[in-house]
This record gives sequence, C-alpha cells and structure tokens, in this order.
Amino acid sequence: MTIPKKLVLSATAILFAVSIGSISAQQYVTKKPAASDWSALANLPDFNGVWERGGGAPRGNAGQAPNAAAPRGGAAPAAGAPRGGAPATGGQAATAPAAAQRGAGGRGGRGGGMQLNPEYEAKSRAYQASAPEDNTTANCLPPGMPGIMTQPYPMEFLMTPGKVTIVIEAYTQVRHIYTDGRKLPEDPDPKFFGTSIGHWEGDTLVAESIGFSPSIRLAPGVAPSDKMRIVERFRLADPDNMTIETTITDPVVLAAPYTTSSNLRRHREWTIEEYICEENNRNSVDSSGKAGIDLTPPGANSSK
Amino acid sequence: MTNLNRALLSSIAALALLVATAGIAAAHHSFVAFNMNEEKTVTGTVNKVEWTNPHIWIWIDVPDGKGGNANYGFEGMSPNFLERRNWTRTTLKVGDKITVSYRPLRSGENGGMFMTGKMETGKILTMQGGREGE
Repeated sequence: MTIPKKLVLSATAILFAVSIGSISAQQYVTKKPAASDWSALANLPDFNGVWERGGGAPRGNAGQAPNAAAPRGGAAPAAGAPRGGAPATGGQAATAPAAAQRGAGGRGGRGGGMQLNPEYEAKSRAYQASAPEDNTTANCLPPGMPGIMTQPYPMEFLMTPGKVTIVIEAYTQVRHIYTDGRKLPEDPDPKFFGTSIGHWEGDTLVAESIGFSPSIRLAPGVAPSDKMRIVERFRLADPDNMTIETTITDPVVLAAPYTTSSNLRRHREWTIEEYICEENNRNSVDSSGKAGIDLTPPGANSSK
Repeated sequence: MTNLNRALLSSIAALALLVATAGIAAAHHSFVAFNMNEEKTVTGTVNKVEWTNPHIWIWIDVPDGKGGNANYGFEGMSPNFLERRNWTRTTLKVGDKITVSYRPLRSGENGGMFMTGKMETGKILTMQGGREGE
C-alpha cells in the first residue's frame, strides 16, 4: 500500500503542531484544587462580587437620583468628565477635543497630570490639534489597560485557587491575574490588557502587568511602548469599598511614573450583565477620526 | 423662593445633568453627532424600542402636521445601566405616548440624544434611569 505523500506531509505537520502546543501547555498545568486550596481563600480578603467604580450609584428607587446624583459626586457615571478617557497632559484638558480625552488611557488622578517625554508630548499635542471627532471605542473596539478599569459599568471579581479573574461588563471583557506563583513571560505577546500575575502583600493584592498592544492608548494619541509596566494594588478600605492604586511606568513614553488611585464600591445585590457592543452599534469612526451615526430605522435593515 | 434662585437652581440642575450624561455616554462614543447646547422637545407614539447594547434607541412617530408621521430616533444609555436604575425593557412599549426632550442631531435629521421622557402615566425617564412623576 502506498501512502500518498500529501497525507504524510499533513500528518507530520499536525504532529509538529501538537507537539509545540504541548510544550507550551506543559508550563502551567491546571490541576484539581485540593480542599485546602479552596479553604485558603477564606483567609484572604473577600473581593468576590460586583463592583462599580466610584460607588454610591443610585439604586432601588432612582426617584431622587437623576439630578441629585451628580452634585453629590457619588454616582459613578457622574463623577468625572473625561470618564474612561486618556489622562489629559500638559493641562490641555479644558481645550482638547472630546474624543482626544477619551479612549484607552486611565483618567488623571491623584498624581496630577501624566508627564510624557518631549517626543510623546508633541505627538499627543499634534493628535489633539487634529481634533479627532471620536476614537475606536465608537467602533466597539474595547479600550485596553488602564482605561478598561475606569468604565461606567461594573466589574465582577472572582477568586479561585491560583487566580483572580475580573469580568468587566463594559464590552464584555475579562482580565486574568494569575496568583499561582508563575513568573511574567520574558517576551510576552502584546495584548490589550497585557499579561498579569499577582501576589498578596498582607491584605493587598499586587498585580503586575506587562506586554501591551500598540493599539491601546496611554495618553491621547500616544501608545505605550513595549516597556510599559502597570502595578495595581487592590485593597479593601472597608467591607464594601475597594481602593486600587495604579502605577504606570514606561521609560520610553513617560518622564516619570504615573500613579492614580480609584475606588470601587461593591453592590451585593447586582449581577454582572452582558454588553455586546456590536449588537446594535450605530456609532462609528473612520481612520481620520471622523465620526458617523447610522440612523437607519429598525426593520428597514435586516441587520438591525 | 425668588425667581432668581429658581433660575439658578434649575441651571445647576441642568448643568449637573449635562455632566452626568456626558460622563455616561463618553464611555463608548463622543457627542459630536449631537448639539449639546440645544434642547428640543417632541411628542409622539413609540413605534419601536431597541433594548440593545451599546445603547437603547427609542423610535417614535411624530405627527408631521400634514396628516402623516415623521419617524424620530433617540439614543439613550445602555440596558445594563438603565435596568439597575428603574427603567426596564418593558417600561416603554410600542403604542405608548411620550414627550421627549433631546439634544438634536447636528445633521438636522429627526432625533438626537435622549435626555428626558415624560410618559402619559407621569413616569419620568432620564439617562439616569426612571422615576415616578410628582
């Protein structure tokens, strides 16, 4: 019997692919957690549940909410203007186009403005001067780190042996923080949320992330370099309030480390929902930054 | 309360609402399509509720004064956000009459960003959710 050459080649290719797959998979093998692994979680601070940025959102009867929420500064969605936006740089917040302030970055915080190295400061100014009408979140591309952590939608924390998982309602995203002792990869693939590991320092979860996609934005119009590192310190301030201190270093783009802190409030009665941005997205932006809106009435187009 | 105080208070309330809605929608897209300095009001009958992400859209028939109707579309917050704040999928139904205040589309087309809706039942719907009218 003659075996066709093509078949032999295909089989070899498959074997090769399988063997490569098993090599990388061997690094971290998921094992069944022992009862002690689960019970060890009880000794850690309890981050489980659904958290909303800012805390103090109107709930139950929202009767008093609509106008009252904003001046109180309590409702997460009302608490800041450039929400989810990249931090303003060089005091340009007041004049920058709306779109330039949004996107993939975190918002300006405790440490004042983010200091960019001159080359990137110039780049950011040029971008803002081009007055983009919107950015790619309008096309449903999720923001990456750190902006994904400052969305006006809740996040669910899940603690399991060896891992803290953050289910992010906005754009239905997920972050994986491995606490099983593995090291950060030496040459990570670039990702929107990077690659994260975590460890506990007393009651504080310290998460380190590296390896970020050039598609994300650290400041308006500025992507992080492949040297960006983000360290987040998660800690319970009280049973239902969590503080996150975020420090971003990027020796290429940033003139100094940038630290910001934010607060999450736990809503024990909430469940996380889905947010399929592509379901009925009528907004868009093109590569030149021009925004569009699709006003096709529902029913007139089969995709709606 | 003096008229001045009243005017001042309503200005503050309006500003607060603007800040609130600005913060909300900014998560997904900019306001460039809407004239955020203008507010218009129309009354019509709901012909479709798109209870969808990333935004709900309310479509209403507004009498055009010539015996027909014009179709107006209004973008609101997301189902996720509103359902946690007393405005659910069944709050507004096809056939309901509603008066909508909105930030009009810059293009001049019919519709805009939903600000406040008053239902015949007196229920008030806003970007921050729903509440019973006074």
